[in-house]
Amino acid sequence: MNAYARGGTAVSAEARKAQQAASAIVELADRSQALFGEKSIAISKLIALAQECHEPGWDGENAIPIDPVTVAITEAFLRALPDFLPLPELASEPDGAVSLDWIHSRTRLFSLSVGSNSRLAYAWLDGSDKGHAVARFDGKNVPLRVLEGIRSIVGYGNPSLRAA
Amino acid sequence: MEILPSGLPSVIGAQEDLARFLTQSSHFNAVMAKPSAFLPNLKDHETSISRHGEDPLEGLWALGLEAAGMRKLYGAAIFKAHGVSTAELDVTPDEPPPRHAVIRGWPWISDDAEMQKAKQKEKAAVLASQAKLILR
Repeated sequence: MNAYARGGTAVSAEARKAQQAASAIVELADRSQALFGEKSIAISKLIALAQECHEPGWDGENAIPIDPVTVAITEAFLRALPDFLPLPELASEPDGAVSLDWIHSRTRLFSLSVGSNSRLAYAWLDGSDKGHAVARFDGKNVPLRVLEGIRSIVGYGNPSLRAA
Repeated sequence: MEILPSGLPSVIGAQEDLARFLTQSSHFNAVMAKPSAFLPNLKDHETSISRHGEDPLEGLWALGLEAAGMRKLYGAAIFKAHGVSTAELDVTPDEPPPRHAVIRGWPWISDDAEMQKAKQKEKAAVLASQAKLILR
């Protein structure tokens, strides 16, 4: 279908229509593949991070391991992110939470922690503006305030930002 | 002014350089040390740092390797002591080991762990925004 969709030799109206339909399907498949691929990579990195931090004291002090519940909630959050937003970078935190960071620059960032319950702690810097809050994640939908916060930092999509 | 065993004064000046050593690969990217790198430990609610700047690098890494112990040392986040005040936190010497200091004053709210974390993250982000990343 790829060859057919991308070929440009259709002559009749029906053939052109069929070619356009094939192009649309291929484009959709490509897009889904790209999005699925990016989220899959982010989830693989999440699992790798949890493996790195699976022992108590992974920070050389007394950090708590990243537990399977935290991994599951973080994965659900990553899957729930709308496709128009770039995926975050991931980092471990001493309390066993996973930090999801959207970093536009040193003074413009949004950092959200996912722990072992549905409450998400987050903070942002936007030039001289800064703040913090807590929101509840139902497992399926990213809280609107969180979405707005991320969007205000990264815009509707920044090709220079990619999952870590 | 009192002089500590390291030879440094007991009062940390606003312009003094401080280093937070990076022992987790997820705690920095190509641009900066992330807020997570500055969060306090759970035991004493402090962030360990060293009173050292970028120069000389050999001295910085010698301190870092000592602090890292068995962990890999990836680099350091260097920032001025006044950056700690900007985040509305405190920094005080804590020797031994030589040149060791701690950032104190992190919000601690026993009945709301997530709000406590949100407040800490904001302060950690302020620290991160002022730090220069030096990789080994």
